Amino acid sequence: MTVSATWVAWLVASLILLLSTRNPIYLFVIIILLFILGARQARRKGRHGWVHQNLRFTGTMLILSALINTLFTHTGQTELFVLPDEWLLIGGPFTLESLLYGAVNGLVISALYLLFDVFNLSLSIKQITRLIPHAFRPLTVMTTVSLTFFPAIQERTRHIREAQMIRGNPMEKISDWLPILAPLLVGSLEDALLLSESMTARGFHARNDQPDNRLVLVGLILVVFAAFSGWLLRLFAYPTWISILLYSLGAVVLVVVLATAGKAQHVTSLHQDDWRRQDELAFTLLMAAGLGLIVTLVTKLDAGFSYTPFPRLDLPEVTLIGLCLSLIPGIPLLFKHHD
Amino acid sequence: MRFKFQGLIVNIIVFTLGILSLLAPFMLPQARNSDFSNASFPIIVSLIIILCVLLTLFEIQSAGLDNKMVAFLGVLIALNAGLRFLENAIPGPAGLSPTFFLIIIVGYSFGGRMGFLMGAMTMFVSGLITGGVGPWLPGQMITAGWVGQSAGLLHASLKGSRWQGKPAEIVVLAIFGGFWGLLYGAIMNLWFWPFLAGASGQTWLQNASLAENIGRYSAYYVATSLIWDVTRAVGNILIISLMSRAVLKIFTRFDRRFSFQVNQEQTQ
Repeated sequence: MTVSATWVAWLVASLILLLSTRNPIYLFVIIILLFILGARQARRKGRHGWVHQNLRFTGTMLILSALINTLFTHTGQTELFVLPDEWLLIGGPFTLESLLYGAVNGLVISALYLLFDVFNLSLSIKQITRLIPHAFRPLTVMTTVSLTFFPAIQERTRHIREAQMIRGNPMEKISDWLPILAPLLVGSLEDALLLSESMTARGFHARNDQPDNRLVLVGLILVVFAAFSGWLLRLFAYPTWISILLYSLGAVVLVVVLATAGKAQHVTSLHQDDWRRQDELAFTLLMAAGLGLIVTLVTKLDAGFSYTPFPRLDLPEVTLIGLCLSLIPGIPLLFKHHD
Repeated sequence: MRFKFQGLIVNIIVFTLGILSLLAPFMLPQARNSDFSNASFPIIVSLIIILCVLLTLFEIQSAGLDNKMVAFLGVLIALNAGLRFLENAIPGPAGLSPTFFLIIIVGYSFGGRMGFLMGAMTMFVSGLITGGVGPWLPGQMITAGWVGQSAGLLHASLKGSRWQGKPAEIVVLAIFGGFWGLLYGAIMNLWFWPFLAGASGQTWLQNASLAENIGRYSAYYVATSLIWDVTRAVGNILIISLMSRAVLKIFTRFDRRFSFQVNQEQTQ
């Protein structure tokens, strides 16, 4: 799996799954799959380091989340111990239910973090940059300029730092940063000036090349309002279909607006993703799994996704559909890994 | 004039919707419902915020982002992303970061639009470099963008005053940096807070007053983030006090050099 679109489909399907479930058993399955996938994707960057770092993060999030929830939430039937009521905010019974609820929150946070970490590992910076819509060409150029200059600036920082240390600058205090920052800034701005002159000389992007974008801007404003209103109406318990309609409308307008604005930009793609057979298969499988997940959620099939330890502590329910759907993040494991 | 009006409208919309989304659990009891106060809340808010960021970026781009600005900001963003690594070179307490310094000074020297771009794009490029692309990124982008944008407003409000070019200007900038050091953490926590919150009627009290919920949020903030944010605020104050005079001079010099004009008729 090497194509950006396949990984984006994987991210979206896994994200919908993560947002739909609070069942700790499914969350454990998702986290284990993400760890296996992440360890495979991190092969070049150091598998052990990646696993240890993320195990530490997951453990910290679990403990922190469970502790914070127990500290501030005093609901539940299984009391562990009690602090005096007069202790501001934290006073009251500390319950097992609150502890478990917090731990489930920690699992969600960890899974979400791991999901994006694996996504970052799987795509190169260039691939992620290419995901920026063509409508934002000047900003994409700016990002590319930054990414191109970054290694040179790092190297220059190292040279200036070494030169300063040879001159006796101990590099211990904040004030020691200025002798690094000032020459670094001047040198970098000289580079920027040269670059802008070269770009001008080659006729790149004069200000008045930009088409009139007022309609696109109005379209984008409508998209923001559609998303916000859909969310707000959902909060106020209006029928779900109104929100779905608004979200869909917003999505359609966004696609149309970005496509229209993108067409006005002259972009040459030097690198295209190479669709292999397994990318096509993975993409189809992910789309089918995502669709299955959406159908399950919309038709409210009992997949055991919801779980709360309140008011009484119970074991989470596990169903075959739910368990199968929680395997979505592991789909890339079915395909051969390419660096 | 058209771009000023257009910018004003877009900024009002973005600021209102962005803040309303983040503050929803304080103002709307419905947003404290357990369905929304957990995993879905940060993601939906992130989606709204990413749309707001796209809207602002497109407006700035349409208002005239020429190749000089692209090159200038591109290099400065790379430099600022590199400054995040300087934190490791010269160790300081947790939370201390030189990143905001350049965002504030760029916004102050070149205006709100450039400030917003500097803040938002620094976070984006740093996210790409460090593998930090995630649902937290839109929140970081818009908040850092607001840091730069408000620095532009600060400059506009000080313009023509007797403080300009005097030590008082640096003092005002340092206070501004300190204020944003705290506010940045508080805004980012608003996004993250419902993740750690309990079910309805608990951490977020569904029927509680605004003051009571602010009290609960404050307790959470003090317990989890205050020390970190105070360090960042103090760091911003120190960095701005020690370095802004020199950097402002460098920017003034380059502002003149970057103001070359291209004769379109001759180039065609």
